[in-house]
Amino acid sequence: MMKQTEVGGTRKKVTNSLAIAALVVLFIAYMFPFIMVVINSLKQKRDIIKSPFSWLYTIKGLSFDNFVKAFTQMDFLNAFKNSLFVTVSATFLVTLLAAMLAYYIVRNKNVISGATFALMVASMIIPFQAIMIPLVSIYGGTLNILNHRLTLIFMHTGFSMAMSVFMFHGFVRGNVPIALEEAAYLEGCTHTQTFFKIVLPLLKPIISTMVILNSLAFWNDFLLPSLVLTDKKLLTLPLSTYSFYGTYSADYGTIMAGLLLCVLPILILYVVLQKQIIGGVVAGAVK
Amino acid sequence: MESKKKGKDFCIFALPGMFCFFAVVIIPFLYGVYLTFTDWDGVAQTKNFIGFSNFIGVVRDGQFWLSLLLTFRYVIVVVILVNVLAFAIAWLLTRGIKGQNFFRAGFFTPNLIGGIVLGYIWQFVFSRVFVNIGESTGWKLFEISWLSEPNKAFAALVLVSVWQLSGYMILIYVAGFMGLSEDVLEAASIDGAAGWAKLKNIIMPLMMSSITICLFLTLSRAFMVYDVNLSLTAGGPYGTTEMAAMHVYEKAFTSRQFGVGQAEALILFIVVACISGLQVYLTKKQEVEA
Amino acid sequence: MKRKVKGKAVAAALILTLTVTGLTGCTFGFASDPDDPNQVEEKVEIDTSIDTFSYDSALKGTSITLMNSKAEIQVALEEMAVVFEEKSGVHVEVMPVTDGDSPYTKVVSLYNSGNPPTLSILDTTDVIALAQEKAEDLSAEEWTKEAEGYLTEVNGKVYGFPLCIEGRGLIYNKAVIEQALGETFDPASIKTQEEFTALLDRLVAAGIERPVSMAKEDWSLGAHQLQYIYETYDGTSEGAQQVIEQIKSGELQVEDHQRMTEFLNTFDILKKYNVAKGDPLGADYDEMAIDLADGKTAFWFNGNWAWPNLKEAGAKNEDAYGLLPYFLNNDENDFANQMIQGSPSKQVMLDGQVADEKQKAAAKEFLNWIVYSEIGQQMLVKTCNVIPPFKNNPYEPEDPLSRDIYEHVQNGTAFNASAIVPNDHWAVLGAAMQKYLADRCDRAELMAAIEEYWSQQ
Repeated sequence: MMKQTEVGGTRKKVTNSLAIAALVVLFIAYMFPFIMVVINSLKQKRDIIKSPFSWLYTIKGLSFDNFVKAFTQMDFLNAFKNSLFVTVSATFLVTLLAAMLAYYIVRNKNVISGATFALMVASMIIPFQAIMIPLVSIYGGTLNILNHRLTLIFMHTGFSMAMSVFMFHGFVRGNVPIALEEAAYLEGCTHTQTFFKIVLPLLKPIISTMVILNSLAFWNDFLLPSLVLTDKKLLTLPLSTYSFYGTYSADYGTIMAGLLLCVLPILILYVVLQKQIIGGVVAGAVK
Repeated sequence: MESKKKGKDFCIFALPGMFCFFAVVIIPFLYGVYLTFTDWDGVAQTKNFIGFSNFIGVVRDGQFWLSLLLTFRYVIVVVILVNVLAFAIAWLLTRGIKGQNFFRAGFFTPNLIGGIVLGYIWQFVFSRVFVNIGESTGWKLFEISWLSEPNKAFAALVLVSVWQLSGYMILIYVAGFMGLSEDVLEAASIDGAAGWAKLKNIIMPLMMSSITICLFLTLSRAFMVYDVNLSLTAGGPYGTTEMAAMHVYEKAFTSRQFGVGQAEALILFIVVACISGLQVYLTKKQEVEA
Repeated sequence: MKRKVKGKAVAAALILTLTVTGLTGCTFGFASDPDDPNQVEEKVEIDTSIDTFSYDSALKGTSITLMNSKAEIQVALEEMAVVFEEKSGVHVEVMPVTDGDSPYTKVVSLYNSGNPPTLSILDTTDVIALAQEKAEDLSAEEWTKEAEGYLTEVNGKVYGFPLCIEGRGLIYNKAVIEQALGETFDPASIKTQEEFTALLDRLVAAGIERPVSMAKEDWSLGAHQLQYIYETYDGTSEGAQQVIEQIKSGELQVEDHQRMTEFLNTFDILKKYNVAKGDPLGADYDEMAIDLADGKTAFWFNGNWAWPNLKEAGAKNEDAYGLLPYFLNNDENDFANQMIQGSPSKQVMLDGQVADEKQKAAAKEFLNWIVYSEIGQQMLVKTCNVIPPFKNNPYEPEDPLSRDIYEHVQNGTAFNASAIVPNDHWAVLGAAMQKYLADRCDRAELMAAIEEYWSQQ
């Protein structure tokens, strides 16, 4: 008995180190482009093109010129403010509304909820190109409400609704026991109270996952904001890097610096929330 | 009384979300469908009903069907690679290895970069970095830019997509693995031939719901590939890597055949809807059987 | 665990503050090196002391938008807008079009959104496509007289303001050629294809292994190179139109078109001496600029818009760069061997549908200001660094490429022919040309692709 465990233990150790080795190799492959971005964001165009690999030796000292240029040309602080406002509001809205809608669909099996869910799943495969022009003609031409951040928030919410409901739906179905709710009703709670007091806390893991996925999508999105926002003061971070892409050639150094500046805030958010996401998933998974 | 309460529930819980969704997605989509039956070119003031002639234009557009065929090839390769890789990595990351949180963060990093920029970065990697490696090492593989040879450009597109998509899927599979009970995980950690059999017979069936979601997501995303296609290969070399979504866009705006492009988008939607529907149906069946 | 999260948050916040302070602080910490070729150039001085332009004070406070699809002059246009507002009180918002979407797509989506730009800088084909539906008729404008020969008419009316002349040909780096050959180089001494090939051979013998760069981009191959087969018909836009009509109707078979064969002969020469011969489709645009500036190559097929790239690669305004014609045969008297191509490229269209009268008037004033005011004239040439198509503009461009084209225009050794082709011509046939460039198809297949393309139009 004792011996067996030991054998199992060594074997486990061996496979574990194999696993770690495999992970490290894969990890480097995954990080590779990112590393290239960091290295080259500190170099000048000529060095980037002629020797993309060289680490700083061809230039005189460390140069943050690209960052300075990107920072000022992007009007970073203003664009950051816009991005933050849009991302936070849209993420909050879509998470709340999608959780409620998904919960409703799971608990109320009727024609409307069934049809809505089917429609949502189907809509996830509509090519954005197919609704791009109709979208702007309705919201711009007919309603004339483009060029407002609120419109963008509304559209982000609408576009990510289907995917979010889909994810919440799966989670509610699998991980929220109806017995708890029934107990709450017996104690006289209304549906709304039950949802916010009992169900929502149980959704924590999927909420944090959806917050990350949605906020990333909103933060990075280019096409939709470029259709909605044209006023310079309203531009979000990705839009503000437009000028680095020339007609004939791209300003690589500034692009990479700009990219890092765009990604930095979300990276920080991810590092901060990462424990909660993963931890939350575990907590939620224990039935 | 009961029905009144139901109505109230509907208004509080379902209506706001449904409103956003219908207003932003469904109504413009239906309007777009209507446009495919008109001769509207995106500019004109008037729209005339012309029946199915845009769809006849689609049938005649040989390039569209070629791009659709290419998209199928791409989707099959990407869906398989993404899911196998993500499943494997997620499995490795739930074995309690030291620093697994660090790894989880790392594998997710590709998702921090938006689509268009990502394509540019990889274009830089393929055309400059790899060629540079090729020059200094003499490796045949990197002798010429991957983007200048059709098959390698296709491979590059697949590689980048796998790299990007697997991050999300790892996250979902990790969540799935963590949802398995300790006993099952313990069983899974025993290696060797028995381990593989257990993986197949015990773990896989239990992971079926994660697999369903991941397959659906990768399938639809791979079909819709646009950003990376545009910024990495731009359909090149000589139009050999132009996928369906990009072709639709080019048709509508570069070739200025708005109606035909819109109709192609609709057909693309129907194709993807059928395939995804079939996939969900099949994997769901597996779930039930398990 | 909670604590750990907190700790991470603090660390993250710290990183952020450090980065921000690092960013703002390093302007002082890392002073730019004066020898640095990549350094941003010093601002061009614009003399604003003389201004005889009469501004319409009634327009003060009007706000108009200008959509710019010429990314390299975005900053310059913004500067112009600031100066114009100071002088006239009219606010011009310059809106860029990003690389990701085409100017046409952008303008169409803006029209659909009910918020189109008052003025938009577009390609000629875009203006033709939009003219009758959306554009304001500019035929009666004063400046049409100054831009004679550079106007595009749709049904006898002018809908576009020609912003600049652009020319293309074989860019040479004089210093490199002279250094390699050890003698002075007179561009005028090369008059035929044979002489050009002989020069290339001498350069090869002198150690420049492959003296030519050619871009793999579809716009370069499909538009700038291939369109020679239409534009060199007789060197006029009408002639180009004729050839296109003939090919379209099947009256002229592409393989029988003499200019087609001649063009391919030249193209083959460039291919043979291409620096990226091993991987022609892997050629990098920025690297081509660096190679020409460094002397790794002596020629680059391109146009004056390549100057910012050359400059970035280390070329200076005083350096001797110029353009040779795209030699098509060995007949010294063929105009194609004597002249380089120089035509108006970007057109400014005025919205006639949504803009109100005041905005239209303000937009017209802005255009007039560019043509007639001392400041506008200067800024067009010096700040935007373009070749003005207006006869009354006394300023000469400063970079050697634009100067060379400007001189060709002045001396009558430039031909002005723009082929009006469908919008996807460059993309579809650019792909066919790429295939030919990479030796993955022969002449017959390329010509069949061209015929096929036109038969579908």
